[in-house]
Amino acid sequence: MKKVGILGTGSIANVHLDGWKMLPVEIAAHYDIRPEAAQRAASLYGGVACTDLEDFYQRVDLVDICTPAAVHKDNVLTTAAAGKSMVCEKPLARHLADAQAIVDAVEANGVRLFVAQVVRFFPQFARTKQVIDGGSIGKPGVIRTIRAGSFPRMGGTFTSNFYADFNKSGGVILDVGIHDIDFQRWCCGEVERVFARGLTFAGLNECDHALITLKFASGTIGHVECSWAHPPRNWRTRIEIAGDGGLIEWDAFEDMPLLALMNTNDEIGFSRTTGSPTAAQDNPYYLELKHFLECVEEDKPFLVTPQDGLMAVKISLAAIESLRTGKPVELHSFKG
Amino acid sequence: MNSIIKIGMISFAHMHAFSYATNLKQISGVEIVGIWDADANRGQTQARHFDTHYFDTIDALLGQGLDAVVICSENANHRQHVEAAAGKVKAILCEKPISTNVADALAMIDRCQATNTRLQIAFPVRFSAPVQDLKRRIERGDLGRVFSVKCTNHGRNPGGWFVDPTLSGGGAVLDHTVHVIDLLRWFWGTEVSEVFAEIGRNSFSNVSPIDDAGLLSFKLANGVYGTLDTSWSRPSSYPTWGDVKIEVLGEKGLVCVDAFAQKLSVSSNQKGNTQWVGWGSDIDYGLVNDFVDMVRSGREPSITGMDGLRAMEVALAAYQAEKQGEPVKLGA
Repeated sequence: MKKVGILGTGSIANVHLDGWKMLPVEIAAHYDIRPEAAQRAASLYGGVACTDLEDFYQRVDLVDICTPAAVHKDNVLTTAAAGKSMVCEKPLARHLADAQAIVDAVEANGVRLFVAQVVRFFPQFARTKQVIDGGSIGKPGVIRTIRAGSFPRMGGTFTSNFYADFNKSGGVILDVGIHDIDFQRWCCGEVERVFARGLTFAGLNECDHALITLKFASGTIGHVECSWAHPPRNWRTRIEIAGDGGLIEWDAFEDMPLLALMNTNDEIGFSRTTGSPTAAQDNPYYLELKHFLECVEEDKPFLVTPQDGLMAVKISLAAIESLRTGKPVELHSFKG
Repeated sequence: MNSIIKIGMISFAHMHAFSYATNLKQISGVEIVGIWDADANRGQTQARHFDTHYFDTIDALLGQGLDAVVICSENANHRQHVEAAAGKVKAILCEKPISTNVADALAMIDRCQATNTRLQIAFPVRFSAPVQDLKRRIERGDLGRVFSVKCTNHGRNPGGWFVDPTLSGGGAVLDHTVHVIDLLRWFWGTEVSEVFAEIGRNSFSNVSPIDDAGLLSFKLANGVYGTLDTSWSRPSSYPTWGDVKIEVLGEKGLVCVDAFAQKLSVSSNQKGNTQWVGWGSDIDYGLVNDFVDMVRSGREPSITGMDGLRAMEVALAAYQAEKQGEPVKLGA
């Protein structure tokens, strides 16, 4: 049974650990620059809280990198040098040069890296790709997605230090938009040109939003809306793909397999919540780790490769640059 | 004392003419005196349907002492028909886009001004009740500072002269930029200051090498940025022809309008499909009722030739921006 180690035991690590719990692995070790965070993970999920990286690497076969983007390069290079295959959270890196260094390092060290672009494992998105590949809608002409919510406020000090700091997070485009940029690239192929307008450089406090247009080499046109400026508690994702043979649409706002309208004792008188439950085996965070494990054990190609991770970063950074300059960015000449 | 408003229909090339004529007949005190159409067969068929006269020449129709004409010819023919009617009628309702180029639009506006003819452009979506609700919320300041406006006006390839650039002046971008840009100008009394576009040709159909996919990314002079999807991207198997949707995001929240959301879903074995059948208030009725009121009252048009020109300019700028790979600035 393979031994897994978690590098960076913050909030996304808990989501991963809930997935690792369901898999035939031993949760062997945790490392975090905040020792108390590693101890907390160890007490909840088992394994040893390490204070020394060399000790950490000796205890594990596989590494799951759940740290913030800015330190991914250091984490990957160290892990690759230690000869361990790894999962790395998105975005692959904060800067394009770092993403390239990551791609080069895993190649040079002969280790495997899976980029946790989890949206490809969400059931609506996976099924959409399946339907496209099956030919039902012909060749995509225009693809549109939405990923919109309010400013992330979970995590206390981490949040205010991280998401609100553009230099660390890359703003809403690199943190949120990247999911759909990767999904659209998965569906429609390579991107040639990017143009974006939005609020990233508007100097607003805890508020960011972008509308991105993508021109694909295939002629397809993409539209990505990513937002930390929408009202709270109404997270919305949406997919629309129009092809020359048909059209696919899905909107979380219209997805209501469970609706709860409850009487309340306050002035408003009622509360309204909706849910879209799925079974444990379809949890996308579980599925992506299961995919990683199987591909490592059976030596099969990953659904999301280091190059996919790099391209998602590249297109996202190009969108940020376009937003900053007000000009379109041609991807082939974009150096980050 | 209310005299009868006498109206002539010039051309049924655009399918909206049928709806305009149908709605004109619902308004009391309005008479459709006759029809002229360059396609005589089509004109005669419509004349029989609407129980009115067909005239062999446009001058014969215009000689009937009309109060107004409704012009629904091909886009490239709007200018010659407006110039023929100006001075012979008090008012003209001209289908969108006003024309296929700026020079024609200016000539049309000038000729109408010189002959005291009131020119109104047909932008029926201004008369959508849900859209008017959105406008009231914007004017009331519900959203505070507005950040962005994300829009779609999807449709289907209409075929025919629409895909002949000598008659249409362009495809989906020209066809579907103007409705929404007119609404945004109307909401805020502002102009588009800059536009960029990605455009697809033959993205949805091989009928003709014309643009059928368009995604505009623009800035308004009031600081709001936005996008507009003009694509003829609804497949023939889709339950409806298209949509007009606008999402306005501001510091105080989000207001979304779906102008054609008021629909029944009708599944028919006989037809072998599911269709969305609209039950919302008829926007074409709103438009022609407003036009008749303008004719009757002597007031200025609610939608002017200049409104038509400003909306069309944005479509033309979008084509230019895509061609040069750079945003195009508009206005002074």
